[in-house]
Amino acid sequence: MKTIIYSALLTILVLMAGIYTANAQDASTILKRMDDVMYSPKDMTGKNKIVLIDKAGKEEVREATIQQKGNDKRMFRFTAPASQAGISVLSLPNDVMYLYLPAFGKERRIATSAKNQNFAGTDFSYDDMESKPFSAKYAPKLIDAGTNVYTLELTPLTQSDYSKIVVTINKTNFYPETMDYYDKGNTKIKSAKYVFIKVGNYWNAQEIEMTDFKKNHKTKMQMSDVKYDTGLTDDDFTVRKLIQ
Amino acid sequence: MEQFTRKILKNRWIIIASVIVLTLFFGYQTRFISINSDIVSSLPDDDPAALLFKNIGNQFGGNEMGMIVLESDNVFKNDLLKHVKQITDSLKITHGVSTVTSLTNILDIKSTEEGIEIGKLVDEYNLPNSQSQLDSLKSYVFSKEMYKGAIVSEDGTATVIMFTLLPDADKQAVAKEIKEKTEALNLPEIIYFGGLPFMVNDVSDLIISDIVWLLPIVFIVIALILYISFKSLRGVIMPLLTAGIAVIWTVGIMVTAGHELTIILNIVPIILLAVGSAYTIHVINSFNVSKTTDINQTIIKALGYVIIPVVLAAVTTAIGFVSFVLGAYLTMIRDFGIFTAIGVMVSLILAIFFVPALTSVFSKNDNKKTADLTEKKTILSHVILQPLSNLLFKHPKYIFSIWGILMVISIVGMFLIKTSTNMADYFKKDNPTRISEDLMQKKFGGSFPVFVVFDGDVQSPEVLKTMIKTEQFMKQDPNISITQSVADLIEQMNDAMLEGKKIPDDRTKIEQLWFLLDGQDIMPQLVSEDLDRGIIQSKFASVENKEIEAFTKKMQQFIEENSNENCKIELTGMPSVYVRLNDSLIKSQFSSLLIALVLVVLIVGMIFRSISKGIYATIPIIATILVLFGFMGFTGIPLDIATVLVGSIALGIGIDYSIHFISGFNSHLKENGDAEKAIEKTLLSSGKAIIINVTSVAAGFLVLLFSQLVPLQNFGLLVAISMFGSGLGSLTLLPVILILANRKRKIIAN
Repeated sequence: MKTIIYSALLTILVLMAGIYTANAQDASTILKRMDDVMYSPKDMTGKNKIVLIDKAGKEEVREATIQQKGNDKRMFRFTAPASQAGISVLSLPNDVMYLYLPAFGKERRIATSAKNQNFAGTDFSYDDMESKPFSAKYAPKLIDAGTNVYTLELTPLTQSDYSKIVVTINKTNFYPETMDYYDKGNTKIKSAKYVFIKVGNYWNAQEIEMTDFKKNHKTKMQMSDVKYDTGLTDDDFTVRKLIQ
Repeated sequence: MEQFTRKILKNRWIIIASVIVLTLFFGYQTRFISINSDIVSSLPDDDPAALLFKNIGNQFGGNEMGMIVLESDNVFKNDLLKHVKQITDSLKITHGVSTVTSLTNILDIKSTEEGIEIGKLVDEYNLPNSQSQLDSLKSYVFSKEMYKGAIVSEDGTATVIMFTLLPDADKQAVAKEIKEKTEALNLPEIIYFGGLPFMVNDVSDLIISDIVWLLPIVFIVIALILYISFKSLRGVIMPLLTAGIAVIWTVGIMVTAGHELTIILNIVPIILLAVGSAYTIHVINSFNVSKTTDINQTIIKALGYVIIPVVLAAVTTAIGFVSFVLGAYLTMIRDFGIFTAIGVMVSLILAIFFVPALTSVFSKNDNKKTADLTEKKTILSHVILQPLSNLLFKHPKYIFSIWGILMVISIVGMFLIKTSTNMADYFKKDNPTRISEDLMQKKFGGSFPVFVVFDGDVQSPEVLKTMIKTEQFMKQDPNISITQSVADLIEQMNDAMLEGKKIPDDRTKIEQLWFLLDGQDIMPQLVSEDLDRGIIQSKFASVENKEIEAFTKKMQQFIEENSNENCKIELTGMPSVYVRLNDSLIKSQFSSLLIALVLVVLIVGMIFRSISKGIYATIPIIATILVLFGFMGFTGIPLDIATVLVGSIALGIGIDYSIHFISGFNSHLKENGDAEKAIEKTLLSSGKAIIINVTSVAAGFLVLLFSQLVPLQNFGLLVAISMFGSGLGSLTLLPVILILANRKRKIIAN
């Protein structure tokens, strides 16, 4: 009799542990698959349109061309408005950035340790713009598996201004649909909405709309003319190229 | 008059029912009362300087800046930095807080050999803890003008955490929450809370505790005095009942009209208790004196006697209050004038309609006692009034001269009167808020916001250069230590681009430097969204009127010389507003006094059908007001938003005593035609009523001495003094003048 109880208990324990690890595994698998969808292209070029919308609904538009190689090299060249045309930002690994201001005709290296600051008047922080895989930065927990999306709760593994990010991931194609950012008081402070379309073999974030609830301010990042795997090399991401 | 009273008696149930219904209605309304102790919101919208200040505050969020200071022997210690971070983090997630700036999260732009370093002054996730790290932080902080004396005090013993509030935040509620949360951390450092949000919150708390504590005390004090004077329950209950109802109606009307309780409006109930009860006292007193076997007959007779003097007393008092509507600068003082006048009129209406109706209903069978109130030989008349009368007749010239000397001394004192508009002065010296403000002033250049507004294209080199020039000019004033503007940031960025710490001449360069600043938390505090307005934010360290005036004058001149079409400059901020407030205090004091005086002379003259009697009646009160100002001058009690009210209130209430005296004198003069006999008789009869009234009103106001707000303490003291003064004036100066005038030329009855 005793043995039966013991084995029953053991079975339950094993089962529970199994569910737990299955959950953990599932969550990290889902997040890894999302990372794959977002970061698998070798390189990308395209046009970027940044629409800033203030609380009165007034819009301000900036345009830039964008080149990216892997996860950690990126070149932004602003083309509009006229006053900002030619301003270029080169991001390299290890938080190294170079800025080129054509009016001054010279570049400066910018070291930014303040990653919670917003990038160039948008609602994206430097942290949000970083294209490091999410699975490297966050510990996921599956909190809901609905009919169309998985809902994961991401807890930062490193220093962050966020206490958590709640992300919904498309069940069939594994791209993110929404991300809600929470501050340390567990208040939702920002929210991103993604629209993905298929470009060649890859899923492309055609539009990301980021809303800052505190400032009542919105930013839309829209991509167009996207090309993947055109064979960009490290030479395309040098200070010399920046100045051109 | 008889007709009128009969109508009241006929409709007594309707009157009682309507009073009950209205009281219930207004009583219900008082539930919705809110408190607004923010002096800024009371600045009038029709004054351009005040309007600009309000607008700038709303647009750039500077009015709502709050500060928390941590004091210790040395700021540069690891555990202190931890505590700063704790508070910073807690502020960041507090609802209603827009931005937080502290030692642990302040942005630092460094220009290095290699490039620009945009980062934090300290790494909040890895606070310095070795002595060498702390020492180098200390020397870096003291090497930069934007930190020294701004975020860390110059002696290195205190650091400030600044926060701004969202425009739609409930300032008071957020300040309260922050205070509670910070105190709950139980940190070992001494913590101070400063800035308008905290001050406003503290004033509100004091207003509430004042009302909760003082109103019942006033109630009890007046009840005691009434009992001693009337020795009957009715004599206590009726006046307090009507005064209580008048308070409920007035507050109800205030709330219904959409007004909030302010630092001065909260004394309205106390004034109404003290003043409003007087009308009922007169009416009841008259019932007692004219007692007949039938209560209705008594009421008819009594009301006939008393209605004119009571109406006159109420109207003159109301005029004293209404005079603020025309003369005052702050909207809260205008509101005070309107609502107290309304309250006085409500008290009058209740005394004339409600009191007779109620007496008629409840005293039907109360005819047992016969009129027993023929002049009793009381201590009052025996020990005080009779000897006084003898003295006056014996030495009228001496008495007159004593008043004359008092006047001369007072006029000298008047020139010593100071004004005070500083909100910190509201608090007693040992109040934590006051201590915090003093500390802010000493260690962080004050908490007094100063703004210089530039209307023009803020990306143009010309405007930015004018900003820099203005900042340099401002800093020459010893009371200005820190200034901040977008021009400073552009200079820093230009320096980081290796082109020197100056504004570039090329507009394109400015626009490109702007690209880096866009989206930084500080930008909305410095420039408008449309880039057509920029401001210099600064703080003024002194609260001395002289220094404030010198600064604003100097700035006005500078602005005139440098303002032009492309760059319109304006100065605003607390110092500018305080200068206006100060001017207005003195101006409104004189204009409201003058208005009240003229109206009172006219009305009293009209009732007595003699302008000279109108003037006689005002002499004691004018003398009292002079003594009052002299007293303020010699004791150093400043003219502030509450004490500015005293003169007109003293006039409105104090005139009643003279009216009583002169109307008594008139009727006695008619009876026997001899002026000196009439004066003596008046002294003995009206003298008693005047002394009782002075005592009860003054006692009511003296309760304000226990108020926790300094202006209200002073206000209570000064009103009490002017009550004694005007009472004494109508019992000594007025009879002496009548005696002397009569000796020159016989006064005859008209």
